[in-house]
Amino acid sequence: MTSAFASPPGAAPAVPGAPAVRAERVSKVYGTGDAAVHALRDVDVAFAARAFTAIMGPSGSGKSTLLHCLAGLDTVGAGRIVLGDTDLGQLNDRRLTLLRRERVGFVFQAFNLLPTLTAEQNILLPLQLAGRSADRAWFDRVVDVVGLRDRLGHRPSELSGGQQQRVACARALVSRPEVIFADEPTGNLDSASGAEVLAFLRSSVREMGQTIVMVTHDPVAASYADRVVFLRDGAIVTELTDPTPASVLDRLAALEG
Amino acid sequence: MLRTTLAGLVAHRLRLLSTVVAITLGVGFIAGTFVLTDMMNRGITETFARSADRVDVAVLPPRGSDAGIPAALLAKVRAAPGVTEAQGLVRGDAPLLGANGRVVGDAPTVGLAVPSGRLLRYRMEKGRAPAGPHEVVLDPWTSRRQRFAVGDTVTVLDGKNRPHRFTVSGIVDVGIDSEASVRGAVGFAPATASAMTGTSTYTEIDTVGGSTAGVAAAVGSGYRTLTGDRLAAEISKANGADTKLIGAGLLLFALVAMLVSALVIYNTFTILIAQRTREMATLRCVGATRRQVFRGVLLEAAVVGLVGSLLGIAVGVGLGAGALALIRSAGGQLPPAQVVLAPRTALVAIAVGLVVTVLAAIVPARAATRIAPVAALRDEREPGGGRFRPGAFRIAATVLFGGAGLLAAVVGAVGMPKGETAMYAVACGGALVFLAVIALMPVLVGPLGRAVGALPGRFGGVPGRLAVANARRTPRRTATTTIALTVGVGLMSLFAVVAAGGKAGAARQVDDQFPVDYQIRAQFDREADRTLPAGLTAALRARPEFSAVLEERSKDARLGNGDETTVSTLTASAWGTIMKPKFRSGSLDAFGPGTAILDEVVAKSLGLRTGSRTTIATRTGPTPVRVAGVFAAGGPLSGFVLPEADFRRHFGAVAPEHVYAKVRDGVGADAGRAALDAATRAYPTVRVQSAAESKDQLTKAIDTVFMIFGGLLGLAIVIALFGIANTLSLSVVERTRESALLRAIGLTKRQLRRMLSVEALVMAVMGAVTGVVLGVAFGLAATEAMTEDSILAVPYGQIIAFVALAGLAGVLAAILPSRRAAKTSIVESLAHD
Repeated sequence: MTSAFASPPGAAPAVPGAPAVRAERVSKVYGTGDAAVHALRDVDVAFAARAFTAIMGPSGSGKSTLLHCLAGLDTVGAGRIVLGDTDLGQLNDRRLTLLRRERVGFVFQAFNLLPTLTAEQNILLPLQLAGRSADRAWFDRVVDVVGLRDRLGHRPSELSGGQQQRVACARALVSRPEVIFADEPTGNLDSASGAEVLAFLRSSVREMGQTIVMVTHDPVAASYADRVVFLRDGAIVTELTDPTPASVLDRLAALEG
Repeated sequence: MLRTTLAGLVAHRLRLLSTVVAITLGVGFIAGTFVLTDMMNRGITETFARSADRVDVAVLPPRGSDAGIPAALLAKVRAAPGVTEAQGLVRGDAPLLGANGRVVGDAPTVGLAVPSGRLLRYRMEKGRAPAGPHEVVLDPWTSRRQRFAVGDTVTVLDGKNRPHRFTVSGIVDVGIDSEASVRGAVGFAPATASAMTGTSTYTEIDTVGGSTAGVAAAVGSGYRTLTGDRLAAEISKANGADTKLIGAGLLLFALVAMLVSALVIYNTFTILIAQRTREMATLRCVGATRRQVFRGVLLEAAVVGLVGSLLGIAVGVGLGAGALALIRSAGGQLPPAQVVLAPRTALVAIAVGLVVTVLAAIVPARAATRIAPVAALRDEREPGGGRFRPGAFRIAATVLFGGAGLLAAVVGAVGMPKGETAMYAVACGGALVFLAVIALMPVLVGPLGRAVGALPGRFGGVPGRLAVANARRTPRRTATTTIALTVGVGLMSLFAVVAAGGKAGAARQVDDQFPVDYQIRAQFDREADRTLPAGLTAALRARPEFSAVLEERSKDARLGNGDETTVSTLTASAWGTIMKPKFRSGSLDAFGPGTAILDEVVAKSLGLRTGSRTTIATRTGPTPVRVAGVFAAGGPLSGFVLPEADFRRHFGAVAPEHVYAKVRDGVGADAGRAALDAATRAYPTVRVQSAAESKDQLTKAIDTVFMIFGGLLGLAIVIALFGIANTLSLSVVERTRESALLRAIGLTKRQLRRMLSVEALVMAVMGAVTGVVLGVAFGLAATEAMTEDSILAVPYGQIIAFVALAGLAGVLAAILPSRRAAKTSIVESLAHD
């Protein structure tokens, strides 16, 4: 597997503090009987605060399911997810929604923005949903960092794919969430735009102290992270710190071999 | 291809559900109309067939003849071979006095012969047929209205207005006799009937036994003899004409409902095709031809139309039977009947349902054929989204229809002589402008949505703002959805405005031009004598409670050129004080001896104008008259009016036809009424109507008609609401991923539901506002076109209520789609491809 992305410059390891979010003996099964699929088997993993962690694994390994459970989008079958010091299993739908609104940010592969809103309105959406006013200085900083100053009045249909994804990143950052979950954020982008977005995500960790958990299948994308966790058949099999594209590829080959 | 289509239908059955409902309701209305009229006919036929069963031979006067059958003929019929019994049917005026001692109804009650025994044609509801000269039977409506029960004593006037007292022996259903049901009926034993009504002839002679040939031979030529069956057939045919008229009226409303259904169907198919672009393209990729795709869509429409129509027939049966029950419980004198589902009903219903559905699907089906196979590989974009740019055709249609429609409406309202033709012009104008609005609506959605959405956008928080944006994002779709509601609300507002104008006009005319408190006149249809008794005016003038008592007299007269007209006059002191006609030309000052004033309609028909001279034939020979003025028609006074002194000189002492009384200021309404009752007690045949009562009656009548129209239009509005629900649920399907994203970043379920409710609210209010604007504008134009003196009134309360109700209904329509949207799993929706 080769990647079009350029390798990142030498990555310094982050100092792992208390985990921002962790999964404790989490299992999840879809379907019943013969049709049952074990998406997650007894997963125990913690994600450090102010670190950029990538989750990798072959198709069907359960990496997206793990991300959805960590983010409070999906429920677990057994075990628990703890975000900060909140056990997500104890929350009803409304509280979960409020938690997502206030403490979590998202960047998805696609369909990331509301077509009826301008870039600025999209960025401010989570804050407005929460009824919070934007910290203007922070908003300006985020906008400048993602380089969207002159695009704020445009609607998504008037932006390129990379620009759209940067708007999505800005939206995730602007509410200063405890964790940002990114699901294949570069999946729909060309290599240059993808590199831009990844560099931006990494700098938000380094410079702004953000915590990011990202699912990807691209070794180059994963190499931007501080740490890579590998999943296969719903279980954590190995992990890697300070990854490079080559070391990630090696691990993947070992997993599939 | 057939299999693919059917599989698609099954897969999309939920999405097509509202389409089916729209067709079902529209077709149900049509089928219901047929079922109702068929049931009415059957009830009438059955009722009559039952009674005609008993008649062996009926003798009738020749067709088209007004003359009755001389009484002497009855003996001849009785003597005919085989006849064991024969009775003559009598029909004439027999005014029943109500509990207040005055005649009942505007027209005298009908006096009928009600024979006992086998020849009793009517159904006895209670009691028995009248026996002997001191018993009568009453129809149920009159007995209920006047609170006369079996055993009560009632007073009936005979042909010379002498009172006779009778005991009520029973209540008889005269439902098959439409005149008797309208005017009320008093049934006597046959001999008494002749004496009371003062008629010496029969309208019909019925026999038990005998044959048509034998009876015909006995009565001689010049009369028709029929068997009982033929008689039944003839009478039900006469009644069928009435039900046909009702049916035609109802079908007009059914047409409106069908039109709205067609809009809903068209919209649904357009959205479904757009959403299935990839599916259609895949079909094309694997080798389906354009023709096959086109046929597939039409087949789908046909199946949906067929299912909807079949359900519609079932709904129609329910509606028809329900309507008959409703009419009967509201006092309509219709016989009960079994449900009739004629083959014609089913055929028409299915044909209409199928044709409308398939026609509505043709444009979407053509759109489906234009999908390129390569679209299967492309990323799907939101169908129908983006800014709407009207094409040349749309602009041309808007300008053409809008211009022609406005022109017709303006010409009809202000540029044409008032009346029916002007109203037709306004109606045509309205229809054309509506077409223009249909063409223009996608353009209007943007600004209208912004205006309507201003409030929810400002106060509804983020969900409110998103909802307003969503309502505006697919202009075509929103336009068609809202237009469907515009139809019903528009017609409703139009009727409301016309009704309000009618009510206001009635009130003002009475108040301004002729402010009297009571009008006294004889009952209509008393052929011989329409004038009032001589002492009445004096009796009223003797009462101190009245400040003025006026008499109106009239007489038919011939003008110099041979034209016939009715000449009338009013008590001289009334002019300028109480009676203030609105003059088109000339004035009251010129109205002296040797002159006349005319209402504009009569003036036009006689070819006279202010200053014209003519002569009228009087008892002293032709007398010259000069026209002193022409006044507006529609007031209390009409025709060719002479000064009182001239009238008396020309025609001698003529009894008054109307007497008007004005209560003195300071005398209370009750005291005035009591004085009036006291003064008229000796004259039971006069009808007293107070201005307040007649205003009230007119208002009630207008309200009733408006309510019936409203009820009939209600279905069209309900269908439009299903359209809103439909569009919304299809949009929800389309925006699954978007909703999931919103939920992921923190929109609560409740906020999601609120967002969809607001979207429905905005769409409904947009449609309603458009309808209200059109309805009010054309209602005012129609009112203006109706008569010269029309008053323009806008029932603001009602109009606001229409918009508010439409908004509320829109929110209700959003309940199901929004529940479904809120239930959707976020993770699945995000993964959904």
